[in-house]
Amino acid sequence: MIADEIEKLKSEIWQEFENIDSLSELNNFRIKYIGKKGVITSYLKKLKDLTLEEKKRLGKELNQLKADIETRLKQKEKEILFKEEDKEVGLDLTLPGRRVFLGAIHPLSQIIDELCAIFSRLGFEIVTGPEIETEYYNFTALNIPDWHPARDMQATFYLKNGAILRTHTSPMQIRTMLERVPPLRIIAPGKVYRCDADVRHSPMFHQIEGLMVDREVSFSDLKGILTYFAKETFGEKTKVRFRPSYFPFTEPSVEMDIGCVICNSKGCRVCSYTGWLEILGAGMVHPEVFKAVNYDTEIWQGFAFGLGIERIAMIKYGIDDIRLFFENHLYFLESFK
Amino acid sequence: MRVPISWLSEFIDLKGSPEEIAEILTMGGIEVGSIEDPYENLGELVAVKILEVLEPEELKEIALCKVTDGKEVYTVITTAKDQVKPGLVLGLVKPGSTTFTFQKIEIKHIKKYQSYGMFLSPYEAGIGEEKDKLLILPEDAPLGESIYKILGISETVLELEITPNRGDVLSILGAARELHTLTSWELKPIKFEDYLKAGNKFKGKIEIEDKDGCFRYAGRFFANVKVQESPFHIQKKLWLCGLRPINNIVDITNYVLLEFGQPLHAFDWNKIKDHTIVIRKAKIGEKLLMLDGIEREFTEEDLVIADAEKPMVLAGIMGGEDSGVSEETAHIFLESAWFNPKRIRKSSQRHRITTESSYRFERGIDPEGVILGLLRASELILEIAKAEKFSEIMDLYPKPYIAPQILLSQKKLSKYLGFSIPLEEVENTLNKIGWVRRSEGSFEVIPYSYRQDLKIPEDLIEEVARIYGYEKIPTTYPKAVLYAKAPLDIINLENKVKNVLKSLGFFQIITYSFIDPKSLEKLNLSHDDPRKNLIEIANPIASTQSVMRTTLVPGLLETACFNLFREVNSLKIFEIGKVFFPTEDVLAYEPMHLGILLMGNNTEEIWYEEPRKFDIYDLKGYLEEFFEILKIPIQFKPYSSEPFLKKGVSFDLILNNSKIGFAGEVKNLILKEFDLKTNVLLAEIDLEPVLKQWEEVFKVKKPPKYPSTFRDVTCILKREIKIGDILEFIKSLSVLYLEKVKCIKIYEGPPIPEDEKSVSLRFWYRAPDRTLTDEEVNEIQEDLAKKIFIKFSAKPR
Repeated sequence: MIADEIEKLKSEIWQEFENIDSLSELNNFRIKYIGKKGVITSYLKKLKDLTLEEKKRLGKELNQLKADIETRLKQKEKEILFKEEDKEVGLDLTLPGRRVFLGAIHPLSQIIDELCAIFSRLGFEIVTGPEIETEYYNFTALNIPDWHPARDMQATFYLKNGAILRTHTSPMQIRTMLERVPPLRIIAPGKVYRCDADVRHSPMFHQIEGLMVDREVSFSDLKGILTYFAKETFGEKTKVRFRPSYFPFTEPSVEMDIGCVICNSKGCRVCSYTGWLEILGAGMVHPEVFKAVNYDTEIWQGFAFGLGIERIAMIKYGIDDIRLFFENHLYFLESFK
Repeated sequence: MRVPISWLSEFIDLKGSPEEIAEILTMGGIEVGSIEDPYENLGELVAVKILEVLEPEELKEIALCKVTDGKEVYTVITTAKDQVKPGLVLGLVKPGSTTFTFQKIEIKHIKKYQSYGMFLSPYEAGIGEEKDKLLILPEDAPLGESIYKILGISETVLELEITPNRGDVLSILGAARELHTLTSWELKPIKFEDYLKAGNKFKGKIEIEDKDGCFRYAGRFFANVKVQESPFHIQKKLWLCGLRPINNIVDITNYVLLEFGQPLHAFDWNKIKDHTIVIRKAKIGEKLLMLDGIEREFTEEDLVIADAEKPMVLAGIMGGEDSGVSEETAHIFLESAWFNPKRIRKSSQRHRITTESSYRFERGIDPEGVILGLLRASELILEIAKAEKFSEIMDLYPKPYIAPQILLSQKKLSKYLGFSIPLEEVENTLNKIGWVRRSEGSFEVIPYSYRQDLKIPEDLIEEVARIYGYEKIPTTYPKAVLYAKAPLDIINLENKVKNVLKSLGFFQIITYSFIDPKSLEKLNLSHDDPRKNLIEIANPIASTQSVMRTTLVPGLLETACFNLFREVNSLKIFEIGKVFFPTEDVLAYEPMHLGILLMGNNTEEIWYEEPRKFDIYDLKGYLEEFFEILKIPIQFKPYSSEPFLKKGVSFDLILNNSKIGFAGEVKNLILKEFDLKTNVLLAEIDLEPVLKQWEEVFKVKKPPKYPSTFRDVTCILKREIKIGDILEFIKSLSVLYLEKVKCIKIYEGPPIPEDEKSVSLRFWYRAPDRTLTDEEVNEIQEDLAKKIFIKFSAKPR
């Protein structure tokens, strides 16, 4: 019976189908069963001797089978093609990739940007000014007359025309106050110069000056702002302490220490076994300074602070030789990518 | 200022450990830099046992001892032949260490023998008078152990870092007073016997001629002093403070200086011409051979102590060699004075001398300490130098010191500190620094004479705050109007430049603003080059850092060299910083410059890429991208006339028809001057004109609506024809629909004739409102190609 044969054929076909594993097998299978001279075609031919009813029934069945095979072959083909792509031999992926290298911003520049960002958040404006200064702005207007022993605190570079290289960014206090009317909040980053050179001192280094003048700004506010700065810079858990100090242009004057971040305040070489690191000097603006810029001390008071960028960078990055910053060796610079 | 705890305790009842004292002082504003034991600082002074005593014949009077410190055996040579015997335990100072007598010990060689250190006498060890005997330690003393540990001897010295305003703390008494102010620990009274205040009639003459220079001048005469070495306890105290003993009279003046902060000066009475002492301005040209062996010439601004004829002392700073006390001195005159701090400071600066004395006078001494110091010295001179007689105290004090009356209102105090301290507490605090009268809401304070740093109410606020404790003052945030301006353009530009170059793979460097003038010579700049108009530093650290830079080039080249010598063969760096030019004014013109340097290869040797040397097209490419990002229409104008660049591979950078910089390859001869044995390219740009034109805006391009189409043309041209000229020519034709043209290929070599090159150009066409047809484009392209061919005598390939 031909109907039985067809049933048998079906099971043969699907059994063989399951074993197809490559595109060539797939092609052979296609030709063998559904090609123009394929098995199914030959069966269709055999149908012509049957009754009309059987012809109709089995013809339909065979055509359906052909369609099924085609559908499943398409699926199978996709599966095989997918697998084929994985069959390629794996490359030596232990080789390094084709890199494109980014440069880096100098660590001191990064610290300056970071600190400027912190104070900008507090509404301080960034101002800049000349690095070659007059003694008046650098000293005299800051209540450091020429006979004052405090001038010893800052070994000064003199220029042949009588100007000097600014020894600190504090002249920016004077320049800003003369230019503007209070209230004001500024920070002034920049290069400063002192005739000093060893592992801890560089003849050129960077500072940021800060100044706030307002009607009610007080010593406790100074503590608040500087504490905020310390925690933003060195982490929320940073301990701070305030010690009385002396700067001719502030009164009261203060120095801020942070708990040594190297030894966790246990005492180490960097903090001279005190557990504390000196970070900055600050104070309430001295009335003589306000006098120099014609601000009425009955109305205005304020605070100022100055901090050394190299020192902060050295503490933050654990660097013990300041000269590394100015030698600019590539290996050093690459660490700050 | 070194403060031995033992000395300090003679003045105050100490109720804390040295560490606690240090903490109190530091938190009170007198920073304690270190806490030390000077005995320990001497080095290795240890117990050793003599194993064997040899007496080599060639070394008479000397014994050679074999000793052990429990670990090793050394030989030590000693002259104390009769004091050494085997089994004895002695103190040995090892090489590299120092004795109490400031002797630095080294390995000594005598004939063929070596002495590893020296046996100590009690005096050399700094523990007793005896000089002739060796220090003998108990037989069971642990060998190799410090002799001070064995003997239980120690001292603690605080190193105080005193700010310039606190001259009053530059003494043991001052430190005691400060500690009292901060803690209320009891001060011990200072008393002098009455007879010290009297004395015989003074037989000399003293006159203050320069009353601006000398505020108070006191002194007294002592007869028949015995000038000799000081007793051990005086020497030891000086040693603890870091001073060397000289003779008893000089030592006493130093002792009182350290103890009371009052500088004194002793004269040899017989060397004072006419026994006349005049405090006057120096006369122009007057000279004095001073104690440091240097003869100095004075000006009228110098204050001197003179006799009837000549200056004897540069007042308050240093004495002359002649008039000083020596072993022959019999009678002395002892000076105790108060000089004008400003005058002392100026003289000290002018003559470049700083002494313990000038240091204190500059910072202001206690006017009342003048007599106190004199009394203390008198006491010691009688006791130690055995003076037989002494005169009354002469005290010339034309204008006695009047302390200021400072008014501090409670309101100001609270406003300044941001909170209120109870009135009682304020009063108690102020009581420690002066006499206080409290009235309605304010305090009237007259500071003690030694606190001359207190002048204005703000000074008192600091005193109240620091004595109360900075730590106890609350931490608050200011109340202010919420307002701030945007950052300055220059700061924005700097940040932009740094970020762009970082993204392009460059590293930012920072070099010194001062350079070596020779480096400009090396660059071969012509004499009239404005960069040779230098600002010179009068007191440079070194000649290599003696002028302010006018260009960033030397810094870039030196950084390249520094790296090249340290395993870095390729480099991409930039610096952004000021250069300095003199102006008519005192201040300089300080424009911001950008310098860029490329050195070596574009990549390291690596499996996927063949390295090639950086060339001018790399530099140009970076600059093109850089200026495009900044939207600055820069022109690259070949060729630059910078003398250090190879002309054929250099540009001037032009903005708005003026030169703002240059770029190019550095000449080999210049590289040699900078020790650079590799290829270097550099560029420098004045950012000031860039800043004027720079605006952070974006021109937004929309994706095109209709497709573009391109045509290529390849032609043979004379080699000297510049592609830029062709592109300019095309641009000048304003061809319809032509969007852009690029040179996509250049070929030189066979089969192209030697003086010609093959150039391929690609043209993109696009219409804004429709898709162009092939025919349209062909027509435009053919016409254009023809024009190019004619203009540049090109042949098709």
